[in-house]
Amino acid sequence: MVEAVPTGVRAAAVIFMLLVLAFVLGPLVVVAGVSFTAGDYVTFPPEGLSLRWYRAVLSADVYTHSAITSLRLAALVTLAATVIGTGVAVALHRRRIPGTGFLSALVLSPLVLPTIVFALGLLMLWSSVVGRTSFYSLWLGHTVIAVPYVIRTTLAVLATSDPFLEEAARTMGAGPWRTLFHVTLPQCLPGIAAGGFFAFNISFDEAILSLFLRSPDIMTLPIQIYTQLEFSPDPSIAAASALMIALTIFLIVAIDRLLGIQRVAA
Amino acid sequence: MTMAAVELNCVTKSFGDVQVIKGVSLAIRKGEFVSLLGPSGCGKTTLLRMIAGLEKVTTGSIIIGGTNSTRLPPERRDIAMVFQSYALLPHLTVRENVMFPLRMRRLGRKDEQQRRVDEVLEMVQLGHLANRRPRELSGGQQQRVAVARAVVSRPQVLLLDEPLSNLDARLRESMQEELIQLHRQTGLTTVFVTHDQEEALSLSDRVVLLNEGRIEQEGAPTDLYSAPATPFSASFMGSSNLLDVQIEAAKGAPCATLAPGSALPLEPGCAAAGPATITFRQEDVQLLPADAEEGILATVETRLFLGSRIRYVITAGAHRFRCLASPGHSFAAGQAIRVRIPPGRIRVIGRTLA
Repeated sequence: MVEAVPTGVRAAAVIFMLLVLAFVLGPLVVVAGVSFTAGDYVTFPPEGLSLRWYRAVLSADVYTHSAITSLRLAALVTLAATVIGTGVAVALHRRRIPGTGFLSALVLSPLVLPTIVFALGLLMLWSSVVGRTSFYSLWLGHTVIAVPYVIRTTLAVLATSDPFLEEAARTMGAGPWRTLFHVTLPQCLPGIAAGGFFAFNISFDEAILSLFLRSPDIMTLPIQIYTQLEFSPDPSIAAASALMIALTIFLIVAIDRLLGIQRVAA
Repeated sequence: MTMAAVELNCVTKSFGDVQVIKGVSLAIRKGEFVSLLGPSGCGKTTLLRMIAGLEKVTTGSIIIGGTNSTRLPPERRDIAMVFQSYALLPHLTVRENVMFPLRMRRLGRKDEQQRRVDEVLEMVQLGHLANRRPRELSGGQQQRVAVARAVVSRPQVLLLDEPLSNLDARLRESMQEELIQLHRQTGLTTVFVTHDQEEALSLSDRVVLLNEGRIEQEGAPTDLYSAPATPFSASFMGSSNLLDVQIEAAKGAPCATLAPGSALPLEPGCAAAGPATITFRQEDVQLLPADAEEGILATVETRLFLGSRIRYVITAGAHRFRCLASPGHSFAAGQAIRVRIPPGRIRVIGRTLA
């Protein structure tokens, strides 16, 4: 089969693939490289090797406080998004409620809606209904944009599962609730986990929503990095970014080990 | 007096304006193996799902084990069901799957449950695979797990929804034998849905033939096979011949006239004179050489060698019918022959409304 592809096309495919790799991995390599620099400036390739900027990041209150805020926020967003997203996915999958098509378009709309439009709208709504922005407005905003990912991944898993499992459980003596907990949710688990992973990441590196919806006393890590970059750029931003990447990789490996993420990636 | 295990009283089912079950009454004895047979769309699966409680009953009632279950949800009915897709829970092992109904219905203590699961797994010869997951099993093994899971709770009635249709032909045959064996061992009242008349005939104590939401005919397999009561029964029970003829009562013994001078003798008193439909099975048709003393004149239209049998298509006047003969004597296509059908093998199944 491979032999049937003309050499020119194959060469083009290889070049295209290398370009994709370069643009996806290139920035990560640069960030990681800069973070290990021994010098005082953001330059690539790094001037010498050291861990001084990691020490600087880990000992600076502005970074550790904003990291804790971001982690707390991401954890709460993950919790809310998985609970809501799973419930919505199961409901949409059953197609028993009228207007399923419209509802599904509505809950998935944050995927296509420009974040800045949504951020501005939510800020105005929050201000007129609740008042001052706070940690809770951030939580709400992040959750709304994270929920569609959980819905998508959970629906993907449900679509491939045997549609008669729930009925079979009922004929085996399980009522609706026990069917949900013993049959439906275990089916959804890989999707929920993958969706939760997306939710965590989206919240953890979301900057636009956070800029609009935070109160001045709340600093998240992406905003801290951005502020640092704008006012006094030094390689600490690279070290902080590299730590974020490391956390993401750790999460991917952990989830893959536990549940097999490839089941929902496809 | 023995109480029926399952009783359907004038059950109907409508989806919107469409009535798919049009008044079915049926009493299934304890321990009986009943097949619901019919073409797709006849309502057999809907009827089974209504017994299971997976479809709501529009009118009528369903009594299971003496309990009016018409409005009960599935989990409160004393039933078990084997699905066409088996519906094994993929996140549980074979043992956990079989344990599931006992856990959900809280039947017995933990150690009793364990023992019963082991017993049933042994019965379907899956003891050695108890710790596997369903996706690691072959289709036939999955099927056995599904059956084990259904019989483990010893339900009042076991419901089977075309459980053999996903298996290949050879496996299907051996699973049929196993099902019979299992039914003998457990004595469970069983309702079996199938569109395969052979399967229904070979497995059941009683076959219920459904057509367009109604019971067309019910009875022992041999009755349905040899004495179809309607043209639909006759044609569905397997390539029976159906001919529209004129019944004539000449000299006391009636006969069916296919064409002038060509009449098949019938049993005395089986029908009055007039137009009617007769049916006979293709293996009951006897072919004789053209110079034989008896039989009606006919012609071989086509000849199909099937291995153990030969199938002929015969024309007699304006009529065509099929014949399944053993390969002892052979006739060629186009050959003139005589045809004899034992009078007791011809059934008059109704007057044509001409």
